[in-house]
Amino acid sequence: MAGPPKKRQKREEKQEGEMPQKKYYRQRAHANPFSDHGLISQRSPESPAAMDWPQHYPAFATQPGSEPDNQAKNPKTITQQVEIADIGCGFGGLLFALAPKLPTTLILGLEIRSSVTEFVQQKALALRSQNASSGLYNNVSCIRANTMKFLPNFFSKAQLSKIFLCFPDPHFKARKHKQRIVSTSLNSEYAFVMRPGGKVYTITDVEDLHLWMVEHFEAHPSFERVVGEEVEGDVCVETMRTETEEGKKVERNSGMKFVAVFRRLEDPSWP
Amino acid sequence: MDHPFQCIEVVHRIDTPYLLSACGPKLSSTSLSTGEVVSTWTAPGSEDTGLRTEIPGPGKLEDDAEERPAKKQKTATSSATSLSKIIKLTASPDNRHAVAVTDDKCVRVFEIHDDGKLDELSQRVMPKRPCAVQVLPDNSTILCGDKFGDVYSLPLLPKPESSTHQPKSDGSQPPEEKSKPFKPQATTQTVHSKRNLKSLEAQMKQKNLTTKTKQPLAFEHKLLLGHVSVLTDLTYATREVDGKQRGYIITADRDEHIRVSRGPPQSHIIEGYCLGHTQFVSKVCAIPGADLLVSGGGDEWLGVWDWPNFSLRWKFESFGEDTRKALVQGGVTQAEALPATAVSGIWLVPGDLDGRPEGVVVVACERVPVLAYCPIAELRNALPGRTPKWSFEPFDHPVLDVTATGTTILLSFDTRSKSHERLRACKLHITRGECDVLSVGSVGEDTMQAAIKTANSTSSDVTDEKDLDSLLCGIANLRKRVNQDEAADHDEPAENEE
Repeated sequence: MAGPPKKRQKREEKQEGEMPQKKYYRQRAHANPFSDHGLISQRSPESPAAMDWPQHYPAFATQPGSEPDNQAKNPKTITQQVEIADIGCGFGGLLFALAPKLPTTLILGLEIRSSVTEFVQQKALALRSQNASSGLYNNVSCIRANTMKFLPNFFSKAQLSKIFLCFPDPHFKARKHKQRIVSTSLNSEYAFVMRPGGKVYTITDVEDLHLWMVEHFEAHPSFERVVGEEVEGDVCVETMRTETEEGKKVERNSGMKFVAVFRRLEDPSWP
Repeated sequence: MDHPFQCIEVVHRIDTPYLLSACGPKLSSTSLSTGEVVSTWTAPGSEDTGLRTEIPGPGKLEDDAEERPAKKQKTATSSATSLSKIIKLTASPDNRHAVAVTDDKCVRVFEIHDDGKLDELSQRVMPKRPCAVQVLPDNSTILCGDKFGDVYSLPLLPKPESSTHQPKSDGSQPPEEKSKPFKPQATTQTVHSKRNLKSLEAQMKQKNLTTKTKQPLAFEHKLLLGHVSVLTDLTYATREVDGKQRGYIITADRDEHIRVSRGPPQSHIIEGYCLGHTQFVSKVCAIPGADLLVSGGGDEWLGVWDWPNFSLRWKFESFGEDTRKALVQGGVTQAEALPATAVSGIWLVPGDLDGRPEGVVVVACERVPVLAYCPIAELRNALPGRTPKWSFEPFDHPVLDVTATGTTILLSFDTRSKSHERLRACKLHITRGECDVLSVGSVGEDTMQAAIKTANSTSSDVTDEKDLDSLLCGIANLRKRVNQDEAADHDEPAENEE
């Protein structure tokens, strides 16, 4: 029987440093965010402090002996924190386009589908070994996560400067709107992990979803929409339009792309 | 078989304590000074209110969080005789009002008169089954958390004109015009997976070209915050900062989180998370004046948090084990057969420590006839090197609810046999970490004993043990099971994505 076992075998036949092939890593495009998935056995970290970051960014791992005290307490530290998160990164088009443009910033993709996550991880490894001389792509990685449930397990308060929400599942049925990646209550979580002044970037080809995302971010007191020059001149917006996998697909279908950017505002003082 | 009291609460009206007790669909008010039942209210059947009854089943807490398809909804006709049962009961801090939630998702507010009589003032049917309610210290706002993860605030007393009140647009339910002409949300140019394309085709074919709008809630309410998870408990805590009181909403969910948000009107701001649990969190209890929070759930340990700093102050590692030991000492031999720890209640009650009044934290686990106790003074002094001492007291039956009046605490037991008392009054005396539980009869409060007797003798026959289990023992269902989902997830056949 053709199917998964064969695909997995093909994945393993790949030589080290060789790019993974997408066709061996495809997985159904829709995942139920309310389900526990395999995330029971493949647990989210208890808290951001429990994350094994050097595993994902070995080039940024704290050098042994540099800070002996710190080292003894927690050997799993990196010299800087992840600052950019691509939520629902898919096959990682945006990640790998942004990584060389922002080589000193750590970028993390979060993806709910396990096979797709594995693809992005393999691709990051392959790109790193191909670019060993320049050291590019050391700043990009991907983890499997259900961010709708576990975002605060990965990032601490005010850690992120940018969050990307690219071509999220539109969930057309009104009954499914609670599963959308943008909602009043989820926006509070995005606000929590973002530093004031940080930005959320959204792009979709579904106008209805675009309006939904704009409406919900604009209605949230922690965000304001960014417009005009600041959006058009932003290298991230350009990259998001052209480099995401879905972005390219939409291009081929000559569909519309709707972009919106929102700024995280300072929290007001207590009443 | 008698129906146990699933919720009990003592309120004080003009110095007289009244016991509010929920027994199935019945809510009674019993004077604890005369032993008389002064008022009884019975929840209407599902038919009377025309509300649909959801029958809680084992799959209830699974992540089907969306409204289930109609076929899974049992309607009132199939269980015509069943009355709605009370699932939550609380009183306002000033004891003038009681709030009861019935399993038809209805939040009911009662006025408690000076003579202890109850009058139902309002019924508000929430969109999802409420799982935690609390009246804020302002005595005019209800916080209501539901199974769907959302927390709403409702005015305790709905304004008279609010029957026609349009819900404020708070962004949660974007106002949809009544008969918006139907417009497909996508075009064929939009890139879709097969499934989305199908759903689009279905939309195009739809004969009915007006969008269905959900009936907005017909009463004033505000969405304060939400979890993408099953919300299990919430509590409102205050602390003084720079001479001003600050209010916080602390919420717990099935996905191991304890979230600390600001209180209204800034409830959209998350202050932090108390992370560390590795199983569902089912109960949280804030200790006023100490900035401590006790949490428990499916883990074998209890957490004591310094919640303003989001740090785990102390972990009571052996909670589950000690509970089982207490059972063995209490003569229960099959203690090994007990279910995994599932904390079903954490309460703060008055007790006395070496003769001085002192708050005591009391913890119960589902289906386990043991209570764990720890005085606040112990918790407050807990340091990494100095662990507080907990005491364990075995009983004949699991404890369902705990309430208190003066220094007497009242316990409600999950007993299914007629010969056992369902309520018991006792006092907590703690000396040097050892806990004595004294029955009230021995300290001479006879009127209270009479009231307890009255309550215990009220007959309320039930026959269906399963119904009782689903009403009283739902916590263990929060535990996640490794299911087929997991296997199926890993290598689902790839749909043509490109």
